[in-house]
Amino acid sequence: MTRPIRLLIVDDEARLVETLSKRLTARGLYVEGVHSGADALALLQGKPFDVALLDVRMPGMDGLTTLREIKKLQPLLQVIMLSGNASINAAVEGMRLGASEYLLKPANIDDVLAKIEEAFHKKLIQEERLAAQHGPGA
Amino acid sequence: MKARRFFRRLFGRERWKPLEARPDARAALHLQYLTFKDLITSNDEILEVIADMESKLQGGMTFGMAFVRSRAVTAASHAYRMIQNLNTLSRRRYQDLYPRFSDIQQAVERVLARGQARPQGPLVLPLASVSLHDLDAVGGKSANLGEMKNRAGLPVPEGFAVTTDACIEFFEANQLWDDIRALLMNLGTGDLQAAAETSESIRRAIMAAPLPSRLEAAILDGYERLCASAGGTRRVALRSSAVGEDGEISFAGQYVSLLNVARDQILGAYKEVIAGLYTPRAICYRAIKGIPEEDIPMGVACLAMVDAVASGVASSMDPNRPAAPRMVINGAWGLGIGTVEGSVSPDTWTVAKDGTKAVITSTAGLKETRVEPLGAGGVQTVPVSAHLQPALCLTEPQVRELAGLVQAAEDHFGGPREVEWALDRTGRLVLLQSRPVHASARGTEQGETPREVEGHPLILSGVPASGGSGSGPAFLSYGPEDLQGFPEGGVLVARHSHPQYVRVMDRASAIVTDIGAPTGHMASLAREFGIPAVLDTHRSTSLLRPGAVVTVDGGRGAVYEGRAESLLSAASSSGARGMAGTPVYAILQEVSKHIVTLNLTDPKSSEFTARSCRTFHDIARFVHEKTFEEMFRVSDQASYEELRSVPLAARLPFTVYLIDLGGGLPPGARAREVTPQDILSSPMKALLAGMTHPELRWWMPKAMSIGGFASVTTEAIFTPFMEYGERRLGDRSYAIVAEGYCNFSSRIGYHFAAVDAYCTASPSRNYISFRFKGGAASEARRANRCVLLERILRSMDFQVERLGDLLNARIRKFSEEATLERLDQAGRLIVATRQLDMRMGPAADIDWYVSAFLTGNYLFDPCFAAASPQGGS
Repeated sequence: MTRPIRLLIVDDEARLVETLSKRLTARGLYVEGVHSGADALALLQGKPFDVALLDVRMPGMDGLTTLREIKKLQPLLQVIMLSGNASINAAVEGMRLGASEYLLKPANIDDVLAKIEEAFHKKLIQEERLAAQHGPGA
Repeated sequence: MKARRFFRRLFGRERWKPLEARPDARAALHLQYLTFKDLITSNDEILEVIADMESKLQGGMTFGMAFVRSRAVTAASHAYRMIQNLNTLSRRRYQDLYPRFSDIQQAVERVLARGQARPQGPLVLPLASVSLHDLDAVGGKSANLGEMKNRAGLPVPEGFAVTTDACIEFFEANQLWDDIRALLMNLGTGDLQAAAETSESIRRAIMAAPLPSRLEAAILDGYERLCASAGGTRRVALRSSAVGEDGEISFAGQYVSLLNVARDQILGAYKEVIAGLYTPRAICYRAIKGIPEEDIPMGVACLAMVDAVASGVASSMDPNRPAAPRMVINGAWGLGIGTVEGSVSPDTWTVAKDGTKAVITSTAGLKETRVEPLGAGGVQTVPVSAHLQPALCLTEPQVRELAGLVQAAEDHFGGPREVEWALDRTGRLVLLQSRPVHASARGTEQGETPREVEGHPLILSGVPASGGSGSGPAFLSYGPEDLQGFPEGGVLVARHSHPQYVRVMDRASAIVTDIGAPTGHMASLAREFGIPAVLDTHRSTSLLRPGAVVTVDGGRGAVYEGRAESLLSAASSSGARGMAGTPVYAILQEVSKHIVTLNLTDPKSSEFTARSCRTFHDIARFVHEKTFEEMFRVSDQASYEELRSVPLAARLPFTVYLIDLGGGLPPGARAREVTPQDILSSPMKALLAGMTHPELRWWMPKAMSIGGFASVTTEAIFTPFMEYGERRLGDRSYAIVAEGYCNFSSRIGYHFAAVDAYCTASPSRNYISFRFKGGAASEARRANRCVLLERILRSMDFQVERLGDLLNARIRKFSEEATLERLDQAGRLIVATRQLDMRMGPAADIDWYVSAFLTGNYLFDPCFAAASPQGGS
């Protein structure tokens, strides 16, 4: 019943991706990291994830655009926005586009993990819900 | 057939079927459960922001713009999410909250944006065209220099100003603001180690970022023009010129000055000066003084280097005796760093502040070292030859000429001025800096000589540099790096005065140095922070023992043994060092009007509407109330027992209504009410077991025996609470239950208690979150209650955070058994502390109450241990 959480980290800051991956892998998560929105979308074409940590400000495709595209590819994927830029507009826009949380950098690793677990829990329930709606006998 | 309508609304096309046969009905419950959980989480987050802001508004704690900004964003995003979720839950019945949210959001953004964003101007301006009007464009130092040069006709070297827009362009081209903001967010105040590390990270980021090429070109062009008008290749000095610097809030010596810079070093030096915005001392200074990081784009003043024979600082007013008609001039050999940073004992002159400019006193210092330029660029400190060490560095005519310049500066600016001066090899005096002088913050009426204080021998005397008196244990420091462990209220005893000592000025009660001048940067900072300071005592670090308590009389330049109350009484250290009155505090205050203020207090009032929401707190309060209302409305419309809200039949001091989101109540429960025994949700069951623990006996007058309970009617059960007027019959406490889940909350007026818990056989997802907020009781009582709850919860292994009157306790990943046991305890605590609210006065003995609870004395009966040691079962 409990499978490892599949986490995708999307951030152009390579060092942050590396540190977070290392520390969250150590906590039992399955983690992959990419450095752009485009790479994230390419990966999500063929591979399911549970939770994504998504940087808001990235060169090329920005976080909000990436979020919009992610929701088309994997609607149930829980996206936690992670931003160094404390902008209310971006936060509200992220929420409107279906992000599950808007965290500010630098966030405490335990807080991030708690939010990831919360989001994962939510995803499990949504999956169950879908199974109940569409599955033959639930 | 309401139910059918309800489900049709939920699912449109579906035909009615019994619940068990309808997987999508179960899915609907899941959706409700998720939505509900998000609503609860967001409500918690907003309450946390509110408590955080409230406690910062109390003063005492330091914080920056990064704090205000990030808390505002958190509140906004969760307020928005609450609106979204309430609309999901209610099938879009609360759309009118969105425009209210936008209004509040805009109001908050207007406050946060204060002082930001100006149209882009030139990157470099020649000093010859700068005046005070350009303060925002070029920063304080350049504006003051330009004003002196061009409008007061005072001698100022050739130079140019790199504008604040240039700095903004540099930062924006490299997106440095975001990085810096993120780095600063991590920083608590008072943590010097962390400040030093943060400072280093920011400095690295700035030094690694390339200058935009058009800025490089502009700076080098400015340099060529400087050389042209100065008549040949020149070394330059680059000095910080921040907005706010040398203005109302003095940034004396807080930033970097780089002397004797060659052409090929200018661009790097420019970045170095910019990075000086984020030295540990500058970060601490801004945190203490409450200056928003975003408000301080840095300008840089670039001046032709003066090859100074002597230099120093002069003030048109004696900072310690502002009423006296005289000026004070300090000077030393070589470039200006020495006097200003207090590493030599300078010469001191006092000059009559009248037409005569007569020299009243002249005192030669022992100037052992001087700073001189190096051929390759930069400067070095060298020894002064023996015969020059005690020699005055200015002649009397030079002193009087300088006094004339200082007077002219004061006349032009219309207030007491402090200037930095230099004497070049041709004997020409020039001014390098000008700022308003800060009179001693305390007592301006001091006499000349130290007083006799009975019982407290005079240990030391020195130069009075900042008035007032302070007392505390001596902390000896041999350099500004040597400050680890500086105690709250300590007296800083330092070898040299140095502006970096600003780091402890939020904690120090006084400052004493062996060497230093009252015109130096540190002294002016001490005056600004209102910290008594006695400088140039020569012997403080050798005479004073670490930890020994001394009393410092800054006005008379005296240090006494022990704590001399008679000196302290009048000028006890005030709260003036708090954040109140600072720009960041003002912004927090303003922003909190749109976030923290609660206008919607009474759900029964006709004003309790979406339209009346004027703050994020209002939105949270409104949505929270409507969440429960909606869930009950939806369930009341359904005719399935499974979806109904059911009253709970239990001995409780409040009526509880339950809603089952699946698996929390027996499927066939047709009864109009359920008993605790019926409940399937194990966490709810455990919580209720605690709340109805027989020993709680909240319903009985103290004298009544347990046996008497059977005859007590339901009406009587509520009587004690009716008497206290705390609640009325008919108010509901709510519990949302599901298999393995419960959320119980009760809110009476301002008083809010909630338990949210998940508990199954697999520990990984188990948690209990226990929250408690406020109450309209006096602050002392509220604080007592929170401390009590905190201590009891900690003893049950909860992790507890307390922010003002908000208590947030949680455990995670405990075994099923351990989780249920703590829920039982939490239930007892909720009921027992309601009792306590009325009993525990502001001066209660908290230890006693903690142990009373832990020994099962839930009535907090003083005779409990003797009278009923047997417990309750």
